[in-house]
Amino acid sequence: MGRRRRRRVDPADAARALPEAIAVLTRTLPTGPSPETFRRAKFDRPEAAPALWRLLFCVLSPMPADGASPSLALEAQARSVKAALRFQGYPRRALAQLPDDGSQGGRELLLALAWLLARGPTLEQLLAQSRVRLGDEMPVCECESLASPGPAVPSVEADGCVDTRHLQWLMGKLRFRWRKLMASQQEQCALLGKIHSYTRGCHSDRSLGHLSVTETELLRDPEGGQQDTVLGACPPEASQPAFLPEIPAQGAAELELVVRELQALQEELQAAVEPRRAAWEARVGGHGPEWSASRRALQEAVRQDLVALQWAWERGGGLTQPHEPHRLVRTEAGAPEGRGLQATEVIEVLRSREACLEVVLGQLQGQCQQELARLVGTLPGLIWIPPPGR
Amino acid sequence: MLPADCSRRLVAELRDALDSCAQRQRQLERSLRVSRRLLRAWEPAETPVPEPTPGPETDEKVPSSAFTACSPSPQDLKELELLTQVLEKAVRVRKGISKAGGDKDPSVKSESLAASPATRASTRLRASGWTGSHASETKPPRGIRQTRVPAKDLSERRLVSVENPTSMGRGARAAKVEPRHRSQQIVPLAAPQAREVFTLKDKGILLQLPMAFRKAASQNSRLWAQLSSTHTSDSGDAATTAKNHFLQKMQTTSGWPSSRLSPAEVEAEVGRLRKACSLLRLRMGKELTADPKDWMQEYRCLLTLEGLQALVGQCLHRLQELRTAVVEQQLGPWPEGRLPRASSPCGGGADTIRSPPLLLYSSTQELQTLAALRLRVAMLNQQIHLEKVLMAELLPLVREQEPLGPPWLALCRAVHSLLCEGGERFLTILREDEPAD
Repeated sequence: MGRRRRRRVDPADAARALPEAIAVLTRTLPTGPSPETFRRAKFDRPEAAPALWRLLFCVLSPMPADGASPSLALEAQARSVKAALRFQGYPRRALAQLPDDGSQGGRELLLALAWLLARGPTLEQLLAQSRVRLGDEMPVCECESLASPGPAVPSVEADGCVDTRHLQWLMGKLRFRWRKLMASQQEQCALLGKIHSYTRGCHSDRSLGHLSVTETELLRDPEGGQQDTVLGACPPEASQPAFLPEIPAQGAAELELVVRELQALQEELQAAVEPRRAAWEARVGGHGPEWSASRRALQEAVRQDLVALQWAWERGGGLTQPHEPHRLVRTEAGAPEGRGLQATEVIEVLRSREACLEVVLGQLQGQCQQELARLVGTLPGLIWIPPPGR
Repeated sequence: MLPADCSRRLVAELRDALDSCAQRQRQLERSLRVSRRLLRAWEPAETPVPEPTPGPETDEKVPSSAFTACSPSPQDLKELELLTQVLEKAVRVRKGISKAGGDKDPSVKSESLAASPATRASTRLRASGWTGSHASETKPPRGIRQTRVPAKDLSERRLVSVENPTSMGRGARAAKVEPRHRSQQIVPLAAPQAREVFTLKDKGILLQLPMAFRKAASQNSRLWAQLSSTHTSDSGDAATTAKNHFLQKMQTTSGWPSSRLSPAEVEAEVGRLRKACSLLRLRMGKELTADPKDWMQEYRCLLTLEGLQALVGQCLHRLQELRTAVVEQQLGPWPEGRLPRASSPCGGGADTIRSPPLLLYSSTQELQTLAALRLRVAMLNQQIHLEKVLMAELLPLVREQEPLGPPWLALCRAVHSLLCEGGERFLTILREDEPAD
């Protein structure tokens, strides 16, 4: 609609609006604190503090609402809230100074909540997280790739020294799991395809056409006591990586990794550029004015090229990669477009991504190959026979 | 044998990778169970499908309730009542429809079903033609039941629950006596094996979402649309200025300079720079393998490489700034250590404010290709990560070890296999000895 209200807010309106707003908030927020709790927190009454800590915990940790995640003690929740707020850059020191047992701090937590709401679309995100997903959803971004699945359980054997054979065994196990995953995934897609085509025409929403697994489930078992089947139904991929606050800090380590990689890259570039520049300088000379014009044109072309390249990482990708899961809809080939993302497009993007990653992996392996050959090559009298199939 | 700390780190990384695979597998299997169940005949299982034992991780929720067999009579009776009421209503509505000459209800099939007994057979044929063959799934209909079928289909269409009425076998057989609107025959109270089972394959097209659900769904999407429109019109509003004012006040009362980057921002930027690194490296690789044919191409290659060099320099500079920012953050009063990793779920951001966008596919093959590619990309990402970790741990070991005897060679061979062949293949090292005379 876009009505831009420029008139001043009437104080009487504001006075009425506050209780309404709080009422809405209490309905929207995860643990549903009562307006009375908010009031007590405002006056920093200790009995309100635990409720606020719990509330912030639910707001800050993107856990699914189905209670699958283990519930943590108040103290653990409080520590996690502090860590999460720090992570987001919460400016006030007072929060850090609150005791960990969650007995105090209602007022400060109210401020923190207000800060979170002011900064970003927190409420919408909360709503979006808790909304029931009716469709068979498939994420179209890569965010889920490397998330740690759960609390980092240090396994017993890891305390000792292992042999490289153990590592090889683990890698083989990993390969096997991926193969199994691939097979299960193909089966699930086949089943989905069937369910979608068998229920074609059943959906009241014409643009969807057929039912999703969740909706079909709904029709099969309308009693709804099986909450877990409704929530457990599809999506073919994981919804969100499970997040538990115990995951240790990774930031600093990653930074160092990236620095090392860039430094290595810098050295390689230097090694490539110097001889070329030298060779070029040797050839230049004795060319006419059209020479410098073409040179300038080339410089401009390269500059634009590189700007485009820079955009690729600064803006997060070529086509506006949508970041949310899409609902799968089966259509007839040749149906009118414009309704949504076409699978063929996504497949294209994924293929090029796949090719890209294969190149990167190949380069890394090549680097290792060279390095090892260099190290072993210092020894005379050895013959290095690569494995077949290379 | 590898040193202890190195072992620990590597095993932890590999176990992480294995666990995340296992987690995906569990989720997939949950979905598979649900889908398979939907494609089987829709009757409560007498013998629940045995649940595969969940893994040692405790966050698995076992949907055992999905497989409970149908409950005893009290519930049956209750359902029977419900069923009877719905059927009565269906009859009334059905009469209304055939009078009004059909409505634009999604199932235009109602029109054809309403037509004449002659269409009964064609309906059945259509249903079966649609899906290929149904013989294997439903029992061969007996003569008398042939006429009962369309009525039952009709009632099923109107039913919220497509629970098989025959499930109320025990004393609740009145359910079968419904078709009073047309065929006045009294359906024989059939023996148990005359049950007509509902399969998605045959009768899926007859399903219809309940009215309450449809209403709720459309209201829901209307509200989301409203929310999205108010959100976009928010800019310049009094609310926004109030928000900014509040945020500024919070910042000034903190006592810290306002230009501090939050750890979240630092992490996001490090991620972008990591991506930058791989893009730059890829580009460099492309330039180095290209074969310049004339001076222009050569010059262009040179310029590009120099440009890449400059960009790498910029990235390193930025990382240096981030490093100092991180150090500053550590000096704050906050408790050290444990920070959450992925604090914003995928799907966060203003884009979530609308009903989920659609992903259209046209064949099962296409869907499978799509899903397979997604898995492949995820797997490659994981492999690359592992490769980097292994390189960081193992190459120094090979470099450091001075004694160049057989143990070192064995290590080289193992490291080569891990780093260059993904642990799948091994090379052979032959030592040239002096020939024995």
